[in-house]
Amino acid sequence: MDRRRDAPAPDGTGSSLSRSPRQRGSSSGHGGAKDRVERGERPCSPPLKGKADALSVSSFPFSGSDYPVTVDPYGFERPEDFDFETYEQLMSEYLAVLTRRAIKWSKLLKGKNKVDKNNKMKRYVRKGVPNEHRTLVWMSASGAQQQLDRNPGYYQSVLGAQHDPKLVDTIRTDLNRTFPENVLFRKSSSTCLQKELYNVLVAFGHHSPSVGYCQGMNFIAGLLLIITRDEEKSFWLMETLLGRILPDYYSPSMLGLKTDQEVLGELVRERVPGVSGVMAEHGVMWSLVVSRWFICLYIDVLPVETVLRIWDCLFYEGSKILFRVALTIIHQHQAAMEEEARSLPDVCQSFKRMTLGPFVEDCHPFMQKIFTEPGSLSMATIAKLRATCRARILAEGS
Amino acid sequence: MSRKKGIKGKTATSSTSSISSGSGRSGSPATSGRSAGKGSGKAARSAVSITGQSNGVVHPSRPSLSCGSDFYDIAFKVMLVGDSGVGKTCLLVRFKDGAFLAGSFISTVGIDFRNKVLDVDEVMVKLQIWDTAGQERFRSVTHAYYRDAHALLLLYDVTNKASFDNTRAWLAEIHEYAQQDVVLMLLGNKADTTHERVVKKEDGERLAKEFGVPFMETSARSGLNVELAFTALAKELRHRSTKDPNDKFKLHDYVNQEVKGASCCRS
Repeated sequence: MDRRRDAPAPDGTGSSLSRSPRQRGSSSGHGGAKDRVERGERPCSPPLKGKADALSVSSFPFSGSDYPVTVDPYGFERPEDFDFETYEQLMSEYLAVLTRRAIKWSKLLKGKNKVDKNNKMKRYVRKGVPNEHRTLVWMSASGAQQQLDRNPGYYQSVLGAQHDPKLVDTIRTDLNRTFPENVLFRKSSSTCLQKELYNVLVAFGHHSPSVGYCQGMNFIAGLLLIITRDEEKSFWLMETLLGRILPDYYSPSMLGLKTDQEVLGELVRERVPGVSGVMAEHGVMWSLVVSRWFICLYIDVLPVETVLRIWDCLFYEGSKILFRVALTIIHQHQAAMEEEARSLPDVCQSFKRMTLGPFVEDCHPFMQKIFTEPGSLSMATIAKLRATCRARILAEGS
Repeated sequence: MSRKKGIKGKTATSSTSSISSGSGRSGSPATSGRSAGKGSGKAARSAVSITGQSNGVVHPSRPSLSCGSDFYDIAFKVMLVGDSGVGKTCLLVRFKDGAFLAGSFISTVGIDFRNKVLDVDEVMVKLQIWDTAGQERFRSVTHAYYRDAHALLLLYDVTNKASFDNTRAWLAEIHEYAQQDVVLMLLGNKADTTHERVVKKEDGERLAKEFGVPFMETSARSGLNVELAFTALAKELRHRSTKDPNDKFKLHDYVNQEVKGASCCRS
């Protein structure tokens, strides 16, 4: 029990911690936070240790104290107006949960290097994978590890092959624009992950030339690197996500993305009709309000800890989780939206607001709600809706 | 998706929720301009709506006079387009907040907008500015929004030749999807850079002449011509909306007269 008490909180329950200043709409003030970080004020606990350490069991209660308190355990700078008091409150409860879960997980895994897929494991994953086991569970449950084992040396070979200069250029454009608010992506950082980010994206682009590179993939690769601290594993997790778990969100036609936006529209029409009505009344297309949710898999949309909890389930259960999350958030804000939204910009604003605040920050209860609130949602239902929506989009396009 | 397009026209304006108790909601739901068919079927719940083509402006019942930015007389939709990384978001943030924070921007995914109200000859003009992802594959997502835009700012990066060359492709896209009388301006951004510059100002001017659109070089970093670009648009849109034959405004002339060169820039 005490083993964890000193653990600096894995963040995410704090407010808007992973959002860039741009996203929060307060572009000023960023420098201030940065300065404070650089001056190293309020030294404290959180932080990540060096590479590879993240894989070791003992590393999650990040034992180093390299970061000041203005940076969360994943390297994201906290906003200047970060509410430490609320954060402490949330964390005191969440830490107890984490401690409990960590003990259970340790017993369950007992040094094993793979996870079985069964109801117990599913329940465990839904309650959150401790960060020290995340790489293992993601790799194993998603099948990425199997791919890696079957293709030894593949990552290095695709990385070493001749690169398409156009692809390389496109990726380079986004390197400095990936998590600039994360200390791990600063060139000044000794553990700067930018080179790794570049490698993973270039390798993936050549591995899957029909997809190449699509904006949004930079954030996905970035978060995978933050968690795994391992290029090759990040590559295979990305391959599994984009190649098998998700439909074709990132291909040039973005047909999978357009389809899933419409699928969400159908689900909302069925299950949260009030919001559907507001959308229709103001002529808001789903692409306007939720494309980032799908493309970034909630990165920079929801707090990072919540995103990681969602990804736990995404790797284990598949893409329907994305709909569960969306439906839960939208349902929660149905009344407010019906009340307030009077125009298209109002609707957009509502959709932004619903990704903020305690409802999504308090990730443990939130993750419980996504499995109860929207009701049953089988993969078969999703598959059927996808087929219908895809056909409709193709018919409209031709 | 297209089911919804029919009623899209009416929704283009009005304020964000935080300010919608201003002119957005008060007054009659009447709108000015001809009804060009779009959006005419359904009564708008919002006081402000755009019915017509790109000059389909709106005169909510003038509750304005207040100096607060909550109030406005007319509203327009402006879109920023151009290749990935040319500085669309930076330009918008510079205009909206007067700030430029190097290294604090992230790639724009999808589409987003911000509002800013400008005082144009004592008329409060609200610009609803749409920022779009520049990567080519996102165009199939974003071009659906061109249709309602009153003005488009097409950006390239003076340090990136490809982004300059691609303006032709962007123009084709604009011609295909935007309104015919959309106000269009070409901007060569990052004009503060000297060493890395690969597109000469004259090249931009030549291209703009060929396109028949006003042109200026801008810098989101220094602030050069940023205000001017948006103000010029706002002036043009406002003058178009008055339909007063005596009230002539020449966008080209105005831009040529006001524009500053990179050398004399002051932020």
